[in-house]
Amino acid sequence: MSSAKWMDILGAVALGALLVLAAASHEAYTLKVVLWISLNILAAVALRFVMLTGELNIATAAFWGIGAYAAGIVTAWYEWPFALAILLGGLGALLVSVLFGYVTLRTKGPYFMLISFAFTEVVRLIYTQSDVIGGNSGMIGIYPPRWLDPFYSLLVVATTTLLVGMMLWLERGPFGKLLKAIQNNDAVVESVGLDVQKIKIMCLALASFAAGIGGALFAHANRVISPGDFSFLLAVYALAYVKIGGEAHVTGAIVGAIALTLLNQYVISFGHFEHLLFGGAIVIAMLALPNGILGLMDRLARRPAMQRSEKTSRQREAVDG
Amino acid sequence: MDLVAQIVINTLQIGSVYVLFALGLTLIFGVMKIVNFAHGEFFALAALVVASLMPILAASLGLPHWADFLIALTAATGAVIVLGTLTYWIGFERYLRDLVGSFILSVGLILFLQGVLVEVFTATPRPIEPIVPGTITILGGRITIQRLLVLGLAVAFTAILYMLLQKTKLGKALRAVAEDREAAMLQGIRYRRISFYGWLIGVVMAGLAGALIAPLTVSQPAIGGDYLIKAFIIIIIGGLGSIPGAIFGALLVAFIESLFGYFYDLTMATIVMFVLVMIFLLVRPQGLMGHVER
Repeated sequence: MSSAKWMDILGAVALGALLVLAAASHEAYTLKVVLWISLNILAAVALRFVMLTGELNIATAAFWGIGAYAAGIVTAWYEWPFALAILLGGLGALLVSVLFGYVTLRTKGPYFMLISFAFTEVVRLIYTQSDVIGGNSGMIGIYPPRWLDPFYSLLVVATTTLLVGMMLWLERGPFGKLLKAIQNNDAVVESVGLDVQKIKIMCLALASFAAGIGGALFAHANRVISPGDFSFLLAVYALAYVKIGGEAHVTGAIVGAIALTLLNQYVISFGHFEHLLFGGAIVIAMLALPNGILGLMDRLARRPAMQRSEKTSRQREAVDG
Repeated sequence: MDLVAQIVINTLQIGSVYVLFALGLTLIFGVMKIVNFAHGEFFALAALVVASLMPILAASLGLPHWADFLIALTAATGAVIVLGTLTYWIGFERYLRDLVGSFILSVGLILFLQGVLVEVFTATPRPIEPIVPGTITILGGRITIQRLLVLGLAVAFTAILYMLLQKTKLGKALRAVAEDREAAMLQGIRYRRISFYGWLIGVVMAGLAGALIAPLTVSQPAIGGDYLIKAFIIIIIGGLGSIPGAIFGALLVAFIESLFGYFYDLTMATIVMFVLVMIFLLVRPQGLMGHVER
């Protein structure tokens, strides 16, 4: 079986299992964990979608937050229907991302990474300065409709599955080929008459729409949001899910999100050691699994043990050179 | 005029520490082509070592405060060198020229080191007594002698780094590697060894900045975060890897901070800086003195 195929199946099985759990379980704790896992999957897949063009978009965290605040305002102030709040969360993030992309996507690589980092932190500073949306202490009272309560986890998993499916479909189609071509060599794409910046903005806008929906769902799950929820660490965790799961396939993001969310649930019980242990786990996983969990599984499945230590860092540098 | 003099003096004083911090970051980027997000932790480590050693030294040795400070500064530098060496050999060596991989590694390190720093030094803020008391007036602007001393030391450290990069063989090797790694290797420069030195000098610059800031502020483990975001704005303005760019960017950011900090508040100043960066990017995406990305 080719590696792409079993990864497709694994991803589908993982999402299917989450759907079944969310539908069948009545235990509050299980439902909560399933909810966090699927929100984390959504953030990771949205981040990875922009990574297809070769850019690391830390502002995923900012767009997640913009979606959360937009939906929060719609629900808490105007009491418009829930579905509209979620949709407006996504559209709000999309709109801001187009403006952000128009300015910043002229840059690439480290510059884009730093500017998206600075954007995330500055948007957070703006929240803390805006008393209308609660300043430092944030917004309260973002309730989903009462009848939805028992199905909320299921709704989140279903939405995540839908959006992940949509992004995977785009990745496999002609649009995805364009994104990968830009990652390989944007000058070549430019030379055949395509507008690279416009394609990158579209890619960013789609991913930000997904992130905005995620943020809106997050806000209604938490009921309370504050600027601290949307620091750059949100994007870092999403990136850790992608890298530790395996960057090459969308299933890597899913597997990484499941593994690290479960680990975090375990680690949280250590109180103030939480950050130390989680940070340590990320460092160790990065060092031990250069191609992520999926890369390891693929290698174990296809090759005898003797070749396991191929591609040491020295060889890697020669390749990268 | 007094106000102008005051803002110029504040700019130079704040800016001199930003210069040290940003120079370390830009040097590491130049040589290793990675962004060290954990830069603030080296800064915090040095600040905390100074802030917790100073009272102990004052109680046990009976030397003047400035002598205590120099001893604490040396100890802080030593601690940063040890941590820098460990993190390089365990982690960053494997992620040379890997922007995304090194990013996660350094953020993992932020979480880990924050945890360690809180365990070792506790999260309680640590103020320390002034190393030299008194205030003087220069051209109508007031500055405490202690801040003047910090400014002088920061300028001296910057000058030493500059001389090192311009005049010594190591400095030439560092610049050659930053310019074109393969051509430098063809000349017989050992890339791995040079990148280790570049890394070490970079984190020591962060440590020196932290040690210098300790007497001027209350040190606590999260102190590096603010500096990190400003350093990013600085190197976006100045161009990644550019030494003159980092110096110019640091002074510009410090000027905006002094000006808006004087009339409004510091959060407003950071927002204004970012808006300026966005406008700046529209005109010049590679930074002021950066090279075009290839």
